[in-house]
Amino acid sequence: MHDIVLECRGVSKRFGDHAVLHDVNLKIARGQIVSLVGPSGCGKSTLLRAILGTHPPDSGEVLMNGKPITGPGRDRGIVYQRYGLYPFLTARQNVAFGPMLDETNLAYRFFQFPNWLKLRKQHLAGADDMLTRVQMGKALHRYPEELSGGMCQRVAIAQALMMKPEILLLDEPFGALDEATREEMQEMLLKLYAENLAAKAAGKKPPYTILIITHELNEAIYVADRVLGLSQHWRWEDTGGPSHPGATIIYDAVSPVFSKDVEAEAAAFVRQREEMRRVIFEPSERFGRESHTRFWQQCAAGAGVGMMAPIP
Amino acid sequence: MIRQPISFRAHIALGVVSVVVLLTGYTALSYRQHQRNPSDKTIPNWSQLADGVTRVLKPQDRYDGASWLWTDAKATFTRHFSGLAIGVLVAVVLGLGMGCFTPIEALLLPPLSCLAKIPPTAMLAVFFVLVGTGMELYIAMIAFGVIPTLAQSIYQSARTDVPEELIYKAYTLGASHPELIWNVTFKQILPRIIEAVRLQVGPAMVYLIAAEYAIGDIGFGFRLRMQQRLSDMSTVYIYLAVLAAVGFLMDYSLTWLRRLLCPWFGK
Repeated sequence: MHDIVLECRGVSKRFGDHAVLHDVNLKIARGQIVSLVGPSGCGKSTLLRAILGTHPPDSGEVLMNGKPITGPGRDRGIVYQRYGLYPFLTARQNVAFGPMLDETNLAYRFFQFPNWLKLRKQHLAGADDMLTRVQMGKALHRYPEELSGGMCQRVAIAQALMMKPEILLLDEPFGALDEATREEMQEMLLKLYAENLAAKAAGKKPPYTILIITHELNEAIYVADRVLGLSQHWRWEDTGGPSHPGATIIYDAVSPVFSKDVEAEAAAFVRQREEMRRVIFEPSERFGRESHTRFWQQCAAGAGVGMMAPIP
Repeated sequence: MIRQPISFRAHIALGVVSVVVLLTGYTALSYRQHQRNPSDKTIPNWSQLADGVTRVLKPQDRYDGASWLWTDAKATFTRHFSGLAIGVLVAVVLGLGMGCFTPIEALLLPPLSCLAKIPPTAMLAVFFVLVGTGMELYIAMIAFGVIPTLAQSIYQSARTDVPEELIYKAYTLGASHPELIWNVTFKQILPRIIEAVRLQVGPAMVYLIAAEYAIGDIGFGFRLRMQQRLSDMSTVYIYLAVLAAVGFLMDYSLTWLRRLLCPWFGK
């Protein structure tokens, strides 16, 4: 049995007459890095908000570790495309912001000021360590305004990781970055994934579970061990309903952990990308929702990779 | 070219030139007026102004040996600071409350919008009846003038200057509602609040001077009224210069405070 961190059960969402999400079902196991791709306007961000708890679904439910979520909580970290850093805090203060909010409250900080100062030192030291891990050790005292896009995104990821969330949600995190920085950030994600694999090999709990939303197919396949496709282009008439009920997950497959240099893997990479383009993005080729959702069958058949690879 | 930067030295030089032109113009005007009427007091020359300075600094028995200027400044600026402090405090609480909680917005925004349309000076009679003519009247005038505008400005900032992402993220970091207001919303809009207060310093002084002018027995407004009746403009100009200097000082202090508390703003 897999340790399921996040589960969406029959999640549907409408905005007035506009159906956005239809019966989205999804399970993410601990330690996975999962990409969610889909055409513009298909409801990726709506699904993310439902998982975050800020915009609950109209029907269905989202469960974290088996418990329904009722709102945003510290078990889910979030990194936005536009970084979402607090402009009035320096990089280290941004990263130490979470521990401050999580471990203390206003009354403690006011009435037990000396104790708070001691704790604050620990938080800042922890933040410095985390920033050093994401190669931001030289910009600890800079404000977000003084950082480049890539640096801001590193700080944002450090800020989220500092809280050790059960799942880290990345909302098109590298969309505003240049190609070189984007690749650096992707490598950083793969390093986190390597830590998961090492933890798994050592029989420990893998520390990072990540759901990354992107519209970039190469990125989706490259950084994740599983790719999900959310799309409005599917054969909805099969449901028997009178009108389009909204987007749903129509692609769910293992994404091999690729190494760029191996020719055979490059060919597999291209094959998967073409399949995803056809299934998820091509309006004229509509498939049934079950035809390409094969991830769990692949795992059962021993075709899972990385965290989902069969234990020998 | 538009917005072409100039050097710091050029900035200072142009500022000095503008002041010199102003003083020269005044001197020329005063000279012309005194050519027509040597005993003119409406545009006093520099020696008359010097007499005015001596007069406003002269110890007065009526005020236990204190000068006009000291007595009036103490009264006016105590009223101004007290009214402004109370007004700002209330406006910040109301503005943040409205910006963060929709029920408070629904409850308070309509009356505040209405009150903002009434000139505080027109309410003088009401305050006169309600709180008498003491310190309370001046504080009420200033607070009434400042609160609706400032609260609405802070409310708008709390609504629009704090991106939703920052709020959602704070919740994922474990923030409570009060922490969200204090540690995110307030910190984020603090420079806007200070700017809004800066803009209210002048109007607050206008309300106060108007009230002192109408019913005061001490203070800048009272003294201006008395000296204007005597056509003693040398005293009036001295008082106006002091008001301008204090206004400038307050403005500079608030800018300095914003830079000190919000070093990230405008970087």
